[in-house]
Amino acid sequence: MPDAVLLIAALFTACLGMAWLALAMDVHWKQVCGSASPSPVISKLLRGLGFATLLAALLLCLEADTATMAVLVWMMALAVAAVTVAFVLSWRPRLLAVLLPWRRPTAR
Amino acid sequence: MFPNFRLSMTWLHTWFGLLLGFVLMVAFFFGSLSVFDREIDRWAIPATRIEARPMPSFDTTLAPIFRTITDPDPDELAAAKTRVSQPLPDKLAVMTWSAFTTHRDPVLRMFVEFKVPNSPLPDDHIHGSITIDPRDGKQLPENRLAIGSEFFYPMHFSLHLNWADIGYWIVGFAALAMLAALVSGVVMHRKIFREFFTFRPNKKIQRSTLDLHNLSGVVALPFHFLWALSGLIIFAGLYFPVLGTMMRPLAAAQEKLEATQTGLDLEPSGTPGTLASVDGMVAEAKAMWVERGVPGEVGFLIVHHVGSSNAYVSVYRDNTDRVGGGPGLHFQGSTGKLIHEDPPEGAVSTVNSFLIGMHLQRFKHWTLRWLIFAGGILSSVCIVTGLVFFVEKRKRQHSEQRRSGARWADALAVTTVTGMVVATLAILVANRLLPEELAQRDLWEKSTFWAAWALCLVHAIWRSSAVLKARTSPAWAEQCWAIVVLAIGAVLLNAVTTGDHLFKTLSEGYWPVAGTDLMMLACAALAAIAARRLQRRATAAARAVDQDSELREVRHA
Repeated sequence: MPDAVLLIAALFTACLGMAWLALAMDVHWKQVCGSASPSPVISKLLRGLGFATLLAALLLCLEADTATMAVLVWMMALAVAAVTVAFVLSWRPRLLAVLLPWRRPTAR
Repeated sequence: MFPNFRLSMTWLHTWFGLLLGFVLMVAFFFGSLSVFDREIDRWAIPATRIEARPMPSFDTTLAPIFRTITDPDPDELAAAKTRVSQPLPDKLAVMTWSAFTTHRDPVLRMFVEFKVPNSPLPDDHIHGSITIDPRDGKQLPENRLAIGSEFFYPMHFSLHLNWADIGYWIVGFAALAMLAALVSGVVMHRKIFREFFTFRPNKKIQRSTLDLHNLSGVVALPFHFLWALSGLIIFAGLYFPVLGTMMRPLAAAQEKLEATQTGLDLEPSGTPGTLASVDGMVAEAKAMWVERGVPGEVGFLIVHHVGSSNAYVSVYRDNTDRVGGGPGLHFQGSTGKLIHEDPPEGAVSTVNSFLIGMHLQRFKHWTLRWLIFAGGILSSVCIVTGLVFFVEKRKRQHSEQRRSGARWADALAVTTVTGMVVATLAILVANRLLPEELAQRDLWEKSTFWAAWALCLVHAIWRSSAVLKARTSPAWAEQCWAIVVLAIGAVLLNAVTTGDHLFKTLSEGYWPVAGTDLMMLACAALAAIAARRLQRRATAAARAVDQDSELREVRHA
């Protein structure tokens, strides 16, 4: 795969991972779903999924560049991804509902 | 002094943050711009808007030009005259010739080191340098200021205060304070993980500012830490000069021993010699890189002991594919034979060159470059919100107690945040407006920068009286509007004076100029949004105060 595709995938994956980590938290789950907290099982699952996805982002970075460069790209991608997720939660939290495909959209 | 550890950390964070926050703001803002210094140079010197190209031939292009550089920089020469015991000769002896380029440079910087005789300092030398267009070897006019690499970049580590290196020391102290602020910030912050993603823009200003301060501080914590640290490491020799002072005899003995092992003499032999084909040495170096599976171009080339029989030439790869540096290849000047190759780096040296390489970003990786720029902006956001929070937290109390501390902090914050952006845009506008043939054009550009900044300070102090009444200073919004006008003005002036408007640069894919223009437009848009929000908030607050006083009047009636 060309490096550009790998890097775009890595950035996207980092955002995805950060979003799932956020959804594992009560406050942000409420912002996104409107309902009470996620069940402990779901919360744990989301956290695991989040960390696994961040790890996948690292693997994508490692595939694209030499290790020293890849670690830097990953570190910076995580920072930018976390800010992106925080801003989405501030202004358009509902957008993150697509990351919970097994939930039917709550009627409001 | 303090009842507990957390409070003592809070004290440290608050006061060192306030005192050095202004310096850090300059370091991180201009540091962020320096990530794209070469691109800003292209914007500022339209004659150099050409594709980047590799190092030209030494034998046919560079060598004749080096021979014409016979005079050192006048400022450096004047400084050197003050530190020698005897008058300097008319022509100083040449020590080295060197040329440096990166994958982003269409022009080539060439340097000559001149020996300063009878100086108390070891290896005392001063520099002469010129910039050439590598296509025809012609020198660029001297009065063209490379605003990115010669003004913004040195600003971020020296503040352009060169007397006794005072600027370097201030920035170094600020970087040290930043490391302390990061540690104390983590200690103070009770909910690092619980509020990792928390930003509540619609709460009170004090709350949302603190949210943004914590968010930008925590998510980019490794960036803040590593960049402040690597910045200090780059100037470690200046801040901690033991090798030139206390341990000079030991260091000199080590240098001598290394010279005997490597065959690279420390001093010129004293007998004149000729230089073999440097192009041949470069070809051999390139062949060696290909053999090792790392083909590449020359990034740095230096001739030591110019004109001497023991001259040697060091060739370094441009290392576009890695963070740290690579080993240098050293050739005998008279024969062109390889005499020494730097051994692989040890552990400490590897970490050192990784940290320095990460800070200097010579690599070719545009994603990482942009991510690092984003990191610099996050640092800036963290510092700004820290300053704003300081004011927000105190202004009501100070207003009631009739104290002016918050007012002065706010005026300085306005100057270092919006004022600095105004000054940055002002120098770019001046760059497009000043006549091309103006004598000392570069000096005029720099003066515009400082004048604009000083004006912003005066404006900020004048308007900050609002803070005395616990309101937001209107200077914030007003300087935001100045940013909008100047940013759009700079983009338009570039289009008018050079013809390189955005439609052209974008369709041709000439990113250095297109990117600079687009960033200025983005900056204008953000400033406009900020100004509108600030003014809407101010009107709402004023209305609330009016209603409040009306109610009081009704009650009194």
